[in-house]
Amino acid sequence: MTEQVFPPESLTNEAIAERLSTTVRRSVNKGLIQKKKVVYLELNGCSGNIISLLNGQNPSFEYTLTSMVDLRYSNSLMAAEGEQAMEQLMSTIDDEFILAVEGAVALKNNGLYNVIGRYKGEPLTGLQAVKWFGEKASHILAVGACATHGGVSAAKPNPSESVGLKEVLPDKDIIMLPGCPVHPDWFLGTLAHLILYGEPDMDNLNRPLMFYSTLIHDRCPRRPFFDRGIFAEKLSDKTCLFKLGCRGPVTRTDCPTRQWNGHVNWPIGDDTPCIGCASFGFPDRMEPFISFDTTRTVKDE
Amino acid sequence: MINTEMIRQEINHLVTQTRYDLSMLSHMEDSAEKTQTFQRLWDSLSSIHFLSELLANQIHSQAYLGNETLIPSNSQNQTTPTNNQRTFTIEELATFDGKNGRPAYVAVNGIVYDVTNNRAWAAATHFGLTSGKDYTNEFASCHAGQQSILATMPIVGRLV
Repeated sequence: MTEQVFPPESLTNEAIAERLSTTVRRSVNKGLIQKKKVVYLELNGCSGNIISLLNGQNPSFEYTLTSMVDLRYSNSLMAAEGEQAMEQLMSTIDDEFILAVEGAVALKNNGLYNVIGRYKGEPLTGLQAVKWFGEKASHILAVGACATHGGVSAAKPNPSESVGLKEVLPDKDIIMLPGCPVHPDWFLGTLAHLILYGEPDMDNLNRPLMFYSTLIHDRCPRRPFFDRGIFAEKLSDKTCLFKLGCRGPVTRTDCPTRQWNGHVNWPIGDDTPCIGCASFGFPDRMEPFISFDTTRTVKDE
Repeated sequence: MINTEMIRQEINHLVTQTRYDLSMLSHMEDSAEKTQTFQRLWDSLSSIHFLSELLANQIHSQAYLGNETLIPSNSQNQTTPTNNQRTFTIEELATFDGKNGRPAYVAVNGIVYDVTNNRAWAAATHFGLTSGKDYTNEFASCHAGQQSILATMPIVGRLV
């Protein structure tokens, strides 16, 4: 953005994200801000968050890596592998860096259920890595459901005894970005905010208010159907999905307005209920994801 | 006598709706939504006024009045009319599980509430809890100091 913006500024998500990212770009180019080092640890999870991040647009993931931050370590994205990758990880520990963690921390057998590499011939567990790097990081971002509260990795019966990041780093301030996966804007927007202005405003569960302040239910385009008691009975119905088990009324994200896959659609827009993936307690406490027996009246049950 | 009881229920229902709308208004910023809610408040108030006049009139004259003309249709979060003096055993409560078109009830501190159309109870489930049970302890551990939640919920009876 080269020309000056006069109020009223455009307040669409794209416009705000665009302004945020161009300001970062300008400040980096002028040398006003230094690129921060980022260590991205993938622990016990499915790598779903990093896949989601590749879909980032404002700023794009490529731009984030090349111009915004100095990504020191990410086992999915870096070229180095094996000992070389571990060396690169360990060489960052005494620098100033932001730690992003996706996946839960497996506690069973002293963390051996999740080994992220071998360092000096010994297996390096996710548990050990997160303790080392969590203590040294300037900021910690818990990315996705597993890192924020255990998520799918900690779902019953939880054979690996997985827990969220906070259990392992109880004294640290951790920015919580729940979601399964996290929306690329939620992570990249928070990262950009950290670099530009420091920590964003957060709620009592440490979620950035700019992304997690509104109940899905309160911005749902199908809200009028709820208010009038008109409920969907099957997935293709275009009315309120409440009776099928929609978790929009208990989930705080901006999905209805931001939307997914390049801001084109979202679950309710495609006639499927919200499963509350960004709620603490997902998935166990958000189940059942779908119920057909609430509205259907069957004689001789 | 049945008419008096039904009018009273309808008034209670409207009062619940009004409280809910008021709590919603206090959190609402969107002006279009606000207008809609104000309109509904206005409608509820008119209905309450009408019903209270009717009730007073009925006490004086003891005249019989047909139900269908008394109760204005109100589809807002409508629940099956039930006597809120009803008593439930824990076994009876268990049948109100929200399945197969049945209402969903839960008990807290001996009072049975209707959560059929409570927004936090989609598909009659709430953070892993299913309806038809006594959740006194769960409510105390998760919603300590949030008695306002209970105040806005329709009461259907008592747990014995």
